[in-house]
Amino acid sequence: MTEEYEVFLGCAIPNRFNNYESSMRTVAEALDIKLLDFDGASCCGTVVLKSIDETSWLSLSGRNIALAESRGHDIVTPCNGCYGSLKDTDHVLHEHEEQRNAVNEILKELNLEYKGAARIRHFVEVLYDLRDKIREKIVRPLTGLRIAFHPGCHLLRPSTVTGFDDPELPRKVDELLELTGATSVSWTLKLRCCGSPLLITSEEVATQILREKMESARDAQANCVVTNCPACHTQFDVQAIGLKDSAGESLELPALFVTQILGLAMGLDPEPLGLELNRISLDPIREILGIE
Amino acid sequence: MEDTWGQFKSFEGAKFEALSADFTREVSSLIGGQDLTACFQCAKCSAGCPVSDKVNIQVHELMRMLLFGLEEVLETDMVWLCTTCYTCQERCPQGISITDIIFGLKNMAFKRGIRPKGYVVARQGLFDTGRLYEPTDWEREDLELDDVPEFDINDIQKMFKKTGLLELEEKEDA
Ligand code: SF4
Ligand code: SF4
Repeated sequence: MTEEYEVFLGCAIPNRFNNYESSMRTVAEALDIKLLDFDGASCCGTVVLKSIDETSWLSLSGRNIALAESRGHDIVTPCNGCYGSLKDTDHVLHEHEEQRNAVNEILKELNLEYKGAARIRHFVEVLYDLRDKIREKIVRPLTGLRIAFHPGCHLLRPSTVTGFDDPELPRKVDELLELTGATSVSWTLKLRCCGSPLLITSEEVATQILREKMESARDAQANCVVTNCPACHTQFDVQAIGLKDSAGESLELPALFVTQILGLAMGLDPEPLGLELNRISLDPIREILGIE
Repeated sequence: MEDTWGQFKSFEGAKFEALSADFTREVSSLIGGQDLTACFQCAKCSAGCPVSDKVNIQVHELMRMLLFGLEEVLETDMVWLCTTCYTCQERCPQGISITDIIFGLKNMAFKRGIRPKGYVVARQGLFDTGRLYEPTDWEREDLELDDVPEFDINDIQKMFKKTGLLELEEKEDA
């Protein structure tokens, strides 16, 4: 059965992680997931707008949901920020009549209405449902890959809103990653925030958090970091460039997206997986990944 | 790089004379704010908070300041250094929606002009373009990705004019 979703990309992926979109589309195609264009999609508002003004955030985000809803479609997004924003909006508008009425009053001018019929999913949720199919398609085992998987905050928390995995002991995406023969290592600070939301407030504090994360990944002898979010990935594949511990040792680790790992292990065309756009060198794990 | 954010760095030497019941009431009316009095100061929230060792006022202290009606809470670095990771909210034994309350505090602080510069810039960008970042077209062409779907910015601005996004500032600060 073909599954069909409007794909909500957000702003960060088309801006700096087109390899995530491209690898997602490649994996989706191989698994027969149909991704429809999300006409009229704006920014999700994310925690930035929610921090500034709740009503503006609910309106912007509610408009996106109402658009997909008006076309009778469900929504899938590969971004934790967009996922959190859309799910949280959906939750608030569903639970709080006052906010729902206020937002619908605003949406009325655009001939839209939020009713709450569109289902909102993260791309990894969809993948998890298809794990049996993925298992069958693994042709190129990634034996020796030791992944520090970073689930990110808004995929898991608040669990009353996302409802995806155990918020304290998540295993679902790890299970997907281990289908490839890789090991998802357990690392002390796995569930800790990457710090990326603080880049707008204090790069210094954001970097302190990142340094702690990378030291934890190193302690667990990971040879790469894997994420399912462009905001987190900004920390691991951009801000981590040149990052050192207090002794001056490099803390860089190759950083990949979940979809790139799965695509490689499924033996898909490496070109659209966009590995040449990963900023931190993949050299230490090139052989394991089976790429030139 | 900036210093740790926030003007109000420590309780040391601070005197709190006026406890504002109105402020506590205002916070209680936020989404998630109704449970404020349930906090029994176990500090589990601060134990798992990624910035506990990077702020002077930790999140359990912030919670107590709210109950005491201390408006100075809006000047603590905890408000804008909260990453919104929801760890505290997930773990609070009293089921308090801590992070949602902090979002409300960020809104209140923003209105009063207590906010990092980046947020003022982001607000203008969202109003002008409806996006936080623009697509990088050459990368998309290289990967043979289609253009990002379009939208009418007038629709977005119509909404933001209604919500008053560009004029949130309270009069006395304006
Ligand atoms: S975890 Fe909950 S009850 Fe405990 S101090 Fe924090 S807010 Fe209060
Ligand atoms: S949501 Fe904010 S206050 Fe709560 S644990 Fe995360 S950073 Fe700390």
